[in-house]
Amino acid sequence: MHIPDAFMPIPQGIIYWAIALVFIALSLRWVRQEMDETKVPLVAILAAGIFVIQAFNLPVALGTSGHLVGGALAAIVLGSPFAAVFILSLVLIVQGVIFGDGGITTMGVNILNMGVIGGFVGYYSYHGLLAATRRVNLSAFAAGWLACVIPALAAVVELWIAGTFPLNLGLVAMGLYHALIGIIEGGITVVALRLIASVRPDIVNISNEVTA
Amino acid sequence: MDSRRLVAAGIVLAILIAIGAVYLASPAPDGLESTALVVQGDKTLTGDTPPDAEVREDVAGRFTFESLLPDYSLGDAWGKPGEILALSGGILLMVLLIYGISRLMARPAK
Repeated sequence: MHIPDAFMPIPQGIIYWAIALVFIALSLRWVRQEMDETKVPLVAILAAGIFVIQAFNLPVALGTSGHLVGGALAAIVLGSPFAAVFILSLVLIVQGVIFGDGGITTMGVNILNMGVIGGFVGYYSYHGLLAATRRVNLSAFAAGWLACVIPALAAVVELWIAGTFPLNLGLVAMGLYHALIGIIEGGITVVALRLIASVRPDIVNISNEVTA
Repeated sequence: MDSRRLVAAGIVLAILIAIGAVYLASPAPDGLESTALVVQGDKTLTGDTPPDAEVREDVAGRFTFESLLPDYSLGDAWGKPGEILALSGGILLMVLLIYGISRLMARPAK
């Protein structure tokens, strides 16, 4: 889902950068206010894990592969969508500048899609579903799936505005492929959430959430 | 698990994922690339991706940038071990970045 420079005119990229910078500033305020020293190791490991697992493409059928994006996972584990914005921004900057994965002028739109939209959709859908169903696995899976599919559909609209994708075909293709890739996203979100909650229950306490 | 062990275990797990990514990752295009190929007419919506299909990125007037280690690689001479090294370097860089920013900005534990 990393949009390259070639897919978007520079002025449009600058507009998305401006929007992304607002959310990056808010995520840094989250770091200052909410990220105490006990959370730093977990944030570091989440960032490293999301960075590397984004390089691990798994086949999903229809001649396509996909990987975890991680916005929902970061937001759920750390209890804020701004945590996802913070982590995904750093991951996307390193990927774009050093490894050429995603563009420079399009880094803002990539942060907006995967960090902001992915993080907010993941966080609020998880807590909404958890309140309704009281089932952690179902809520985390659905949140991961939605945090993959909705940013993908947002990317289509942005690339339609950019004149790169036709809207209808883009929505059908991106929607179809990311509905499949979202199964990976949902599955890894559940497994990683369970794993992290088992090793750091002081930070991620699933049982409290279910019984609250 | 204490913080030091958590970070060490996390880095080891991430490097194992990096090794898996280098040797086991699917060469098929991701969702965005597949969609671009469908839009270009080089792939059908539900069919396999032709082996010679490539996403066109030579668009006039767009920004171009040569990254330091394109495609998570140290170059052909290094082969797959170079890719593992590149990914491992990225893992360590992410950890150092988070620790560096948190040292500047995060508040002390209560």
